[in-house]
Amino acid sequence: MRTNANDPVDAVLAVGLKDLWYPMCPSSFVAERPVSLRRLGRKFVLWREASGVLHALEDHCPHRGAPLSLGIALGDRIACGYHGVQVRADGVVMSVPGSPGCKLEGAKATRSYHVREAAGAIFLYNSSVDITDPPPLNLPTELTDDVHSHFLCYTEWKGDYRYVLDNVMDPMHGTFLHKQSHSMAEGDSTAAFRVRETDTGFVFEKEGQRGVNFDWTEWADTGLHWMRLEIPYPKTGGPGGNFIIIGSYTPISENVSAVFHWRCRKVDGWQRDTWRFLYQNRLEARHWAVLEQDRAILEMMEPDANQREMLYQHDMGIVRLRRHLRNLAKAQLEAGAEKAA
Amino acid sequence: MMQELYLNPHQARRRQPTAYEDLLGDSIERAYAAGVHDLAGLVAHLNRTGPNCPAGGVWTEDSYRAEIARLAAEC
Ligand code: FES
Ligand SMILES: [Fe+2]
Repeated sequence: MRTNANDPVDAVLAVGLKDLWYPMCPSSFVAERPVSLRRLGRKFVLWREASGVLHALEDHCPHRGAPLSLGIALGDRIACGYHGVQVRADGVVMSVPGSPGCKLEGAKATRSYHVREAAGAIFLYNSSVDITDPPPLNLPTELTDDVHSHFLCYTEWKGDYRYVLDNVMDPMHGTFLHKQSHSMAEGDSTAAFRVRETDTGFVFEKEGQRGVNFDWTEWADTGLHWMRLEIPYPKTGGPGGNFIIIGSYTPISENVSAVFHWRCRKVDGWQRDTWRFLYQNRLEARHWAVLEQDRAILEMMEPDANQREMLYQHDMGIVRLRRHLRNLAKAQLEAGAEKAA
Repeated sequence: MMQELYLNPHQARRRQPTAYEDLLGDSIERAYAAGVHDLAGLVAHLNRTGPNCPAGGVWTEDSYRAEIARLAAEC
């Protein structure tokens, strides 16, 4: 999704902004055996100690660049499979078996990353340089408080992650694309939208319509970029009010995205258990069908579709979000230039 | 070559639902659709239309709470 192949701002956005938390994968993807994940313009290796403690390094051996993920995890370090060089989770080389005492030993030679686990996912701080302490991971309240219950839905879609952002910042597609879905048959097919500022971002919302269909999207930056929306459940969904979706999206490669949706509901006690039972038994499949409608459209969009657009009022949120992200990318470029000067 | 993309429609459930679980889901959804959103009403609905409570045939508020907690955790 390049507006201009030589645009450095786009190049920054294509691999994801730096110095932010990003969801990487569901927690269950990583065990003691090292896993390689291509994300955010590079490859990472993630593994766990037997105690469950997670680690992440760039998946690149400082000796000759073999993937560390093909090596053997030894607690807090990995022994590269190629020549046995051992790299600790902080990026320091602990041993060079082929040449003991060589200069590489003791050197901080591999990029290391901070990881956290929350809400069923692994998050990584995409720092521009190695740092000792990352900022806190601030998730939206639906994923951390006791009054909401949630399930993570993780998918990988073909297409730039910014098309996924555009799709979520476009509430009006619910009325058309998801017309036949179990939860979005209501609401006017024309609407006026407005932008409302919040402490952490903005809300793009229909004027005079709330709780009818997919009526608004919130964009938030809490050190993690995430989006929030609500969709009214049909009566069969029982007590608990609207269905809340938290979304966060991470580039895998130029044309593949890691798509995280947490499906949340404000439910407690028997209502919570009933929702969780129904979700596992049948609702997940219905929500999946809706998400597949989005994927079918997004994956068929040409990578340069955004070069020939005729936007109208419903697309104001998209325009706003793109401008916001470009400004962040520009600031990142300028900060980088200052450091270099 | 591209790695296969992760697309799994069932990430929440741990196993295939049983016939009893499907019937219970149907029955709960029918009660909800009729506007029955309280526990006493739901229990009365289940006792009227089934399925029976596996623990002892008749549903009570307590047996419903216990059974649905078990199902939420197990299936
Ligand atoms: S490339 Fe890893 S030890 Fe040589
Ligand atoms: Fe959609």
